[in-house]
Amino acid sequence: MYKRLFCSIAILTFCLSLTAQSAPSPNKGDIDPSAVAALNKMGTYLRTLGTFQVRSVQTTDDVLDNGQTIQAGGVIDVLAVRPNRLRAEIIGDDKHQILFYDGKNFTIFGQLVNYYATVPAPPTIAALINKLDEKYGIEMPLVDLFLWASPDQPDSAKDITGAIDVGPSSVEGTSCEQYAFRQAGLDWQIWIQLGDYPLPRKLILTTTDDDARPRHTQVMMWNLAPSFNDAAFTFDPPDGAQKIAIAEVNASAGDQKEPKTGSSK
Amino acid sequence: MNRSIQNLLSITLVLLLSCGPVFAQRRGGGSARTSVNHPSQGNINRNNNVNSNRNVNANINRNVNVNVHHDVDVHHSYYGGGCCYHPVATAAAVMATAAVIGSIVYSLPPACSVVVMNGLTYQHCGSTWYQPQFVGTSTTYVVVAAP
Repeated sequence: MYKRLFCSIAILTFCLSLTAQSAPSPNKGDIDPSAVAALNKMGTYLRTLGTFQVRSVQTTDDVLDNGQTIQAGGVIDVLAVRPNRLRAEIIGDDKHQILFYDGKNFTIFGQLVNYYATVPAPPTIAALINKLDEKYGIEMPLVDLFLWASPDQPDSAKDITGAIDVGPSSVEGTSCEQYAFRQAGLDWQIWIQLGDYPLPRKLILTTTDDDARPRHTQVMMWNLAPSFNDAAFTFDPPDGAQKIAIAEVNASAGDQKEPKTGSSK
Repeated sequence: MNRSIQNLLSITLVLLLSCGPVFAQRRGGGSARTSVNHPSQGNINRNNNVNSNRNVNANINRNVNVNVHHDVDVHHSYYGGGCCYHPVATAAAVMATAAVIGSIVYSLPPACSVVVMNGLTYQHCGSTWYQPQFVGTSTTYVVVAAP
C-alpha cells in the first residue's frame, strides 16, 4: 500500500520534472528587475500626462511571400487630450490621413482620396482604442503610449520573459537608457529619456514568430505643452469630400455593404 | 470536383497568359508588429490583423486573380508600413475578366466617375461599379452591382 503510494508519487514527480524542463519557462535570471522597474516608471509617468503631442518617425517591414522584407516609412503626429480628444495625422509614402476624435464621433479622413468615414465613438480615448481594434481592426497610432499609461495595465511587464538594461544611449541628442525585452513572438528595445521626464524616445520591435523577423521602428519627439484649439478634434469635410463606410472586422470581405437600395433602378 | 479544379487551373492559366509572366512577390507574408501591447487586456493578440490579411488576400486571389505586378508598388497601411492590411491587387485585374462582385481592389482603373446615389459614393469605371470603403485605415474598393 505505502509502497504503491510511494511509486505513484515518484512517477508523478518524475513527470512533473519532465514537464518543467520541457516548458521554456522564463528563467528569473533572464529578467533584470531594474529594466522592468524602468518600464513601469515610464508607464506611471505617462499616466500623469493630460495633454501631449508626439511626432513619431517610423519604419515598418512588410514581408513578401518569399520571405523578403520591404521597408516602408512614415510619420505619425498624435495630439491627445485626456480623456476624450485626439487627433492623429498619418503621412506615408502614398497616404495622408487624419483621424479625429472629439469625445462623440470618430472620423477617418483620407486626404489624398478625399474620402472620409464617421462613426459614433465611446466617451474616452481608452474605450475608443478598444472599439477601433475590435470592431474595425484599426490599431490606434502609437497605441503603446496609451496602453503603457493605462490604469488597467499597471504592470507593463507581465508578458515579459527577458529584460536587459543595455546601458546609456542617446536619441536625437537626448540622453536615454536603452533596454531590451523579450516576450512571446516579439523582441523589443526601448530608449527611455533620462532625468525628470522618463518618456519613450525610441522603440524597435522585431517580430520573432516570422522567419523574416520584420522590424518596426519609432523615433519620437515629444511636446508636453502643445498649443491647439478644439476645432482640431472635429472633422469639417472639405469641398468635394465623399462620405464612405469603414469595413467591420467581422464582416467577411466578400459581403461588404452591398448598398441596401431597394431601388436598383 | 476534378472538373472544378481543372476549370480553376485553366482559368488561372488563361489569366496568367493574358497577364503575361509578371510574377512579382505579394506582400502577403505579413509584416512587423507595430505595438508591444494590445488593447484587449494587454494580451498580444494578432488575430484581427492576421484574419484581415487572410480574408482580404484570399478574396483577391480568388476573385480578382493575381495580376501581381501591381503589388510591388503597394500602398502601405497607416503606419507607413503594412501593419494590418495588405493591398495586393488593383482594379487592372479587370483586364482578363469582368470584375467579380464582392471582390476588393486597392486602386481604380483610369477614367472613373464619382456617382453619389442614395447618399452612398460610388466609382463608375467602364461597366464596373466600385464602392469605396476604409479597411483599417486603407482605402479599398469593393466591386458592387450597379446601384
